[in-house]
Amino acid sequence: MLDGIREAVRKFLGGNASYEVAVEEFIKDLQKSLISSDVQVKLVFSLTNKIKERLKKETPPSSIGRREWFIKVVYDELSGLFGGDKEPNVNPGSIPWVIMLVGVQGTGKTTTAGKLAYFYKRKGYKVALVGADVYRPAALEQLQQIGKQINVPVYGEPGEKDAVGIAKRGVDKFLSERYELVIVDTAGRHGYGEEVKLLEEMKEIYEKIKPNEVILVIDASLGQKAYDLAKRFHEASNVGSIIITKMDGTAKGGGALSAVVATGAPIKFIGIGEKIDELEVFNPRRFVARILGMGDL
Amino acid sequence: MSCFDKLKKAFSSFAEKLSSKVEESPNRSTQDRATTSNQAFQDKLGQPKSEQVQDNEQPLSQKEGASSSGQLGPGSEQRSEEPKKEKSGLFDFLRFKEITEDDVSDLIEELRIELLEDDVSMEVTDKILEDLKNSLVGKKVSRRENVEQLIQDSLKKSLREILRKNYGERDVIDTIKKAKKPYVIVFFGVNGVGKTTTIAKFATLLKKNGLSVIIAASDTFRAAAQEQLAFHATKLEVPLVKGKYGGDPASVAFDAIQSAKSRGIDVVLIDTAGRMHTDKDLTEELRRVVRIAKPDLKILVLDSLAGNDALQQAEYFEKNIGYDAVILTKVDADAKGGVALSLAYELGKPVIYLGMGQDYDSLVKFNPDWFADRLLS
Repeated sequence: MLDGIREAVRKFLGGNASYEVAVEEFIKDLQKSLISSDVQVKLVFSLTNKIKERLKKETPPSSIGRREWFIKVVYDELSGLFGGDKEPNVNPGSIPWVIMLVGVQGTGKTTTAGKLAYFYKRKGYKVALVGADVYRPAALEQLQQIGKQINVPVYGEPGEKDAVGIAKRGVDKFLSERYELVIVDTAGRHGYGEEVKLLEEMKEIYEKIKPNEVILVIDASLGQKAYDLAKRFHEASNVGSIIITKMDGTAKGGGALSAVVATGAPIKFIGIGEKIDELEVFNPRRFVARILGMGDL
Repeated sequence: MSCFDKLKKAFSSFAEKLSSKVEESPNRSTQDRATTSNQAFQDKLGQPKSEQVQDNEQPLSQKEGASSSGQLGPGSEQRSEEPKKEKSGLFDFLRFKEITEDDVSDLIEELRIELLEDDVSMEVTDKILEDLKNSLVGKKVSRRENVEQLIQDSLKKSLREILRKNYGERDVIDTIKKAKKPYVIVFFGVNGVGKTTTIAKFATLLKKNGLSVIIAASDTFRAAAQEQLAFHATKLEVPLVKGKYGGDPASVAFDAIQSAKSRGIDVVLIDTAGRMHTDKDLTEELRRVVRIAKPDLKILVLDSLAGNDALQQAEYFEKNIGYDAVILTKVDADAKGGVALSLAYELGKPVIYLGMGQDYDSLVKFNPDWFADRLLS
C-alpha cells in the first residue's frame, strides 16, 4: 500500500530524474492513492491530467518551495471539485424548510434523519420528522424510537403502503402546525433492474412535496458505482447536497467525491458514529487529506 | 553470407529428415507433404528473417570460421538432437511469435481499469495483472492468433481459478443437513450491509430445504432492530428469541441455542449489531457472542457496492474474529462485486451466496465461473 502523497512528493523531490520523468512518476503515485480511496477511475484520470498539465506549465512562485507548491496544486484541484476551502453553509435558506433524504439501502438515511433533526433542534429550530419508508420492516418504529429519544415528533402511517401520500400528508401536517424544519426519510433504493420503479416513486415524492433541499446520503465505503448511482438519483430528484456516513471506519470516502462530481452538489455533513450527536459539518481540507492518505493539511 | 548458407543447409538436412520420416511412417505422409510444400514458400518468407539472424550471429560464425570443422559442427550436432525439437524450432519463428511486454502493456492497462471499475481492490488488481503478464510474456503464440483475445481468455481463466480454488464444491445446506443439531450460524459485518435481511433470506432457504430454524435477535443496540426481525420472523413463521435494548447480545444468542436444543430445532441464526470494524469495544462484544454461542459457521456479510474498504473490513474481521464464508449483498444494484475476487485472492475466503434484491427468495448460490465471466463482461 501507498503511504500517501507525502511519500510521493518526497520521492519526487529527492530523485535525480529529470523534471518530466519525476512528474510522471508523481502522477502515477497520485493515481494509485486516489483509486485506493475509491475515487472513480475515470475521474482520477481526468483529475490527474489536469494536475499534470499545471505541473508542467506553471512554475512555483519564488516565495515557496517546490514541495509546498506541489501539494498546493493537488489540493487546489481536489478541493476545487467541491467548492473550495470554505466550510459549507448548513443554515436553512428560508423558513419553513423541507428536507428530503434519499440514498441506497443501508447507507444510514434513517439514523441521519435523526441526527439532522437533533442538530437543528439544538440550533433552536422547531423540527419534525416524516417516515415515508414503507418497505423496510420496522423502518417507522426505528424513526419513532429516535424521535422519542430526541423529543421530536414523527409522522407515520403504520401499515399504509403509499409512500407518496404519507410524505405529502406528513409535510402538510407539520407545515400547518408551523414547524420550521421538516425532514422526510425515504426508503433505500438503488434504481437498477426492478428498482427502476422505486426511482420513479422517489421522483413522485419529490414532485409532490417540493422539498427545499434533497440530500443524498452515501456510505463512505461506496466504491466505483458511486458516480452512476449519484447521477441516477440526481436525475430523478435534483440532489442539492450530500452527507457522507460511516466516516468513523477505515473507508476513505473517495466514492463521495465521485458523487459530488456527478451531482454538482456540495457535501454538507459527515456521520462519524451511530450515536445521535455524531454528525459533523463537513471540512473540505480534512477530507482531501484523508483521501490522499496524509495527515491534516 | 555464411550464415545464410548455414540456414540453407539446415533446411536441406531438415528436408532429408522429413523424407526419411515419410518412409518410416506412411500414414503421416500426407500431413508431412503438406508441410514440405509450404516450405518453399516459407523459405522466401524466411529470407528477411535470416538476415536478422545473420546480424546476431556474426561473432559466432567468425569464431566458427577459425576452425575448419566448425562449419559442419553445428549441423551435425543439430542432427543428433531430437528431430522433433528441431522441427518446432524452425517453424517457431515462421509460424509463431513470442509475446513481448510491448504486446501486452496496452491491454494490461485496459484490463487494469476494467478490474478497478469492478471494485477489485487496487493491490489485488496489481497482483493479478502482474501474474498474468509473467505467464504471458515469452510465451509463443501462433501468428494467426489474436493476442488480445488470448490475454482476455487467459485472464478469465485465472479469475475462474482464483474464485473456484477456495470455493470448493461444498454446499452449505448439505453440510447443515449432515451436521449435528442444532447447527449454529452467526452473521456479522459493518453497519447497513444487510445482515438482518440476509438472515431472513437464509431462513427462507433453510425452510425450503426442510430444516427448522430459530433466530436470535442479538442486535440489542440499533433502534427497531428487534422489531425488524420480529416482522420477518412472523412472516416466515420462524420462532424468534428477542432481547432488551441495551441488553447483553451474548445472552440472547445463548437463550436461542438452549431453546433450539429443547425444541429440537435444526438451525440457529444469530443476528448481530452492525459495528464498525475499527470499534474496539464492539469487536470485543462480538468476540464474546462467538465465544458463548460457539457457532459452527461464521458468516461475514459484505456490501458489494463498497470499494477498497470491503477488503479492509474482511481483513480486520478475519484477524479479530475469524469467519468461514462471505455473503455479498446488493449485487442487484448493478455492482460487479470485485471484492469477491479480492477476498478469494488475498484471504482465501469463499463467497457462498449473493444477495440480489429485497425479496426473501433473492439469495442466490454463488457460482464462481459465472461470476468471473461477469467481471469481464
